[in-house]
Amino acid sequence: MENILKEFERDQKELIHILHRVQEEFGYVSPPAISAIAKHLKISENEIYSVLTFYKAFSLEPRGKHIVTVCMGTACHVRGAPRLVDDASREMGVDVGQTTPDKHFTLETVNCLGCCAIGPVVVVDGKYHSYVKRMDSIIKEYSEGR
Amino acid sequence: MKLTIDGKKIEAEGKKSILDVARENDINIPALCDHPILGPFSGCRLCIVEIQGRRGFAPSCSTYAEDGMEVKSDTPQLRKTRKEILGLILTEHPDACLICTEKQSCDEFKSTIRKVGEVTGCVLCSNNGRCDLQDVVEAVQIDKVDFPSVYRDLEVKKNDPFFDRNYNLCILCGRCVRVCHELRGASTVHFVDRGPEAVIGTALDRTLHESGCQFCGACVDVCPTGALTERAVKYEPLPDGTAKILCPLCGMGCELDVMLSNGRMLSAKPAEKGTVNQGQACVKGRFLIKDVVISPRRILQPMIRRRKELEEVSWEEALDFVAQKIKTYKGNEIGFITSPQLSCEDNVVAEKFAQEVVKTRNVGMSTGFTPLDSLWHLEQKNGISPSFHFNKEDIARAKVIFLTGTDLALSHPMLWLEVLKAVRNGARLLVASPFEIAGSRYASSWLPIKPGSEDLLYRCLSKMILKEGEVGGHDLEGYESFRRSLEKLNLSEAAEVTGIDEKSLRRATEMLMRGKPYFIAGMGLTPSSGENKNIASLWNLSLLCKGKLIPLGLENNQRCIFEMQRNNSRKTKLLSQILQAVREGQIKALYTIGPIPLDKKIKTELLIVQDSYLSGIAERADVVLPATTFAETDGTFVNVEGRTQSYSRVIQPIGESKPDWWILSQLAKKRGKKNFAYKKSQDILKEMKKRIPSLKKPSSAHTKRGKQKFVPLRARYHGTKIGKKFPFILSSDYSLDTYRNLVLSSEIKGFEMVRNARWIMINPEDAKTLKLEEGEGIIMESSVGKKKGVAKITEAVPQGTVRASFLWIEGTEEAFNPLPVRIKRGK
Ligand code: SF4
Ligand code: SF4
Ligand code: SF4
Ligand code: FES
Ligand code: FES
Repeated sequence: MENILKEFERDQKELIHILHRVQEEFGYVSPPAISAIAKHLKISENEIYSVLTFYKAFSLEPRGKHIVTVCMGTACHVRGAPRLVDDASREMGVDVGQTTPDKHFTLETVNCLGCCAIGPVVVVDGKYHSYVKRMDSIIKEYSEGR
Repeated sequence: MKLTIDGKKIEAEGKKSILDVARENDINIPALCDHPILGPFSGCRLCIVEIQGRRGFAPSCSTYAEDGMEVKSDTPQLRKTRKEILGLILTEHPDACLICTEKQSCDEFKSTIRKVGEVTGCVLCSNNGRCDLQDVVEAVQIDKVDFPSVYRDLEVKKNDPFFDRNYNLCILCGRCVRVCHELRGASTVHFVDRGPEAVIGTALDRTLHESGCQFCGACVDVCPTGALTERAVKYEPLPDGTAKILCPLCGMGCELDVMLSNGRMLSAKPAEKGTVNQGQACVKGRFLIKDVVISPRRILQPMIRRRKELEEVSWEEALDFVAQKIKTYKGNEIGFITSPQLSCEDNVVAEKFAQEVVKTRNVGMSTGFTPLDSLWHLEQKNGISPSFHFNKEDIARAKVIFLTGTDLALSHPMLWLEVLKAVRNGARLLVASPFEIAGSRYASSWLPIKPGSEDLLYRCLSKMILKEGEVGGHDLEGYESFRRSLEKLNLSEAAEVTGIDEKSLRRATEMLMRGKPYFIAGMGLTPSSGENKNIASLWNLSLLCKGKLIPLGLENNQRCIFEMQRNNSRKTKLLSQILQAVREGQIKALYTIGPIPLDKKIKTELLIVQDSYLSGIAERADVVLPATTFAETDGTFVNVEGRTQSYSRVIQPIGESKPDWWILSQLAKKRGKKNFAYKKSQDILKEMKKRIPSLKKPSSAHTKRGKQKFVPLRARYHGTKIGKKFPFILSSDYSLDTYRNLVLSSEIKGFEMVRNARWIMINPEDAKTLKLEEGEGIIMESSVGKKKGVAKITEAVPQGTVRASFLWIEGTEEAFNPLPVRIKRGK
């Protein structure tokens, strides 16, 4: 943490950059990280928390190695996205928004990714999977090293 | 500039929003997120107006009025849009009552039905009848809400002292967030999450207490809904009147509006137009006032000790008794003590009483160890001419502020708000303090100085500044010898003692040389014994930087006592001298109106205590005379700036208590004195003006400059010796958390959480070594005495230092800075 902070000036404008960097490094922003950033930038932890919870890019809890995002926008919804979510949730053994105990998967949903034509859409670590019919194959694809 | 709003021709000046101009001219534009004390936010969009020649609607709260503008605030389109906007806002706020057609008759017939867990409508809300949202709904004339409404069913937060937070009623206007951040600098509450989940909250949903809240109540006072409500008034009726008082709980003298119902005090709020505080206060003024006045400790009747017990008697009997008893002693055998917490009127009469009725030279009016006193001693001794007055607004305009010996946000909260303003305007804040002060994150530099080495630090800074060459004061008397006295100073040796290295010194020097710094010096500079060398070298430093030294006092009316003494031909004594005379047996009887230490050695044949509370020394008295508090009598205070303000009675005296000046005048009459014929406090005015010259010019916050010169400095400090026996250094904290004989944190539960006078603060590492747990009972001992307290483990104090409150009443009279102490477990 200290080394990360050293990369940045003690300027409040750096907050977002620091948060991104921390998120990237640890996969989440922990409470001790919040207080370290607060001390570095001389702002209140509450202020940081506000920014943290505003952007989806940050998470407060450790996230999995692979982030599985199922689109629940209207188009994907009518094409069976809810079932995909249920399946994924059952396969992984976690609810939406949670991470598997072995920190391998995090399951998330999103409302419309802007590519409705190829729905239902599932994104894993930024990679788009179109016309998805089953979750188990996708999950298997990313289960290596589990 | 000239403009028209809704056809009305208006003249306005300065840079103002259309909304503010409208308000000034009694044109009501609905607004929810805007608040006069806050900057524009444009969150709610209710305040929209049409401006001739511009397309669309503009938010009037964030659009500046311009010359020639033609503004319309009430067109059919605006009305329609406003209704829609308000409808949207109301989807997240219980609206049944707001738009109910039976509203009027309901208001007439309902009884108190607010004692409910969940507020689902105005009739169940404690904000009913004083709610901005209700007013806006009324103004916008909304009669139905077209959107489905949601009750968010959030848990009401009740784990903090003084107020509850029910975010089911919150409309996310952001007023609380802005006041907390912009004005108070606390940044405790913020927007959390976004979209439909958005709420107001703290980091990780901690309590406010854990999130750096000062409990100033500013958020409660700006909230336009019932989301934030003061617990004390939750189930009380709406006030039927308000009256102004001056808060007596520190040297600021904030104006407060006391809310009354049937002559009963409900609560107090900062007055929006208060001269000193402009709608702000601190936790003490905002939340403690009622508990201070209506305390179960209040003495209701005079009492005389008979057969070891205090027995209630009539005033007549008590006064006769005291008048008789006083006669049996020779004047100087009686010690007479007043207090800087009493009004000017009380003090003037008390001093006259001591001199003309008791005829004693043993009069103590003040501890005499505040920076104010120390600077005055310098004035007397060296013929310098410091200006004691200042305007707090000047601080906001400073370029550099140097805080030393004070945790300003606690000791003088309104001055701290000015410091914050200055910082926001780009000023540099320099803090020299052994512990981390509240809000220290606003400091450009914090010099964590070893307790007691302040004098040396100021000399080092002076030397650095002299090295830079560009200094003020070379034409002043004493400059040469001061400069020479610094020649021998070895900076690196000094750094060992102060704990401040040369690099930090250089940075501090650079800041000080930015121009005309304000040096704000607090009680922490009071040395453990002898004269205050800190103030002397700080004075010299301030001359070198062409800055201004502001010496703080301690109590609300310290300035009055100070001016009385400064303008006195007959000298009064220091409180400690009186107490010493008591211990040595020269004083046989003591008449005290001020709190004195509960020291067992302070024993007299006769002890007369005139106070409002049966606590502290009053419990040992032979005679107890019940005095009113500030709320039950008229009076005058001079605040830390030197500003004179008066206040009037707001409630009937509690029990048979009487104003202090009244009690003393009655006694004087019993002793045959004719020149004490005061019927009301105003009768004292003439004498008061004579004794306190600055009163002649009301609000005289003038600055007087006379002869300036550098003062010669004595031998300097070489570090406090700590050893095996006393391994810690105590650095005392002097925020004023008592009123007369009442220790606020002992009597008021919520305050105990915020600031307990019994806390002894210690670094986590030290606590680990001593195996101390948070909240555990500990005993602190020094070579001169001991104090019991509870452990408060915090990183705000460095290792090897402990910080504790100075409580005069509790007999820690010698516990000044710095004092080697030891800590052990125990109760
Ligand atoms: S009480 Fe004061 S410090 Fe606490 S949240 Fe409200 S405004 Fe902020
Ligand atoms: S709590 Fe009150 S002041 Fe704060 S955002 Fe909600 S309604 Fe506005
Ligand atoms: S700042 Fe001082 S005067 Fe103002 S409310 Fe607080 S204690 Fe009272
Ligand atoms: S609804 Fe899934 S991409 Fe638009
Ligand atoms: S008052 Fe102007 S936008 Fe809210």
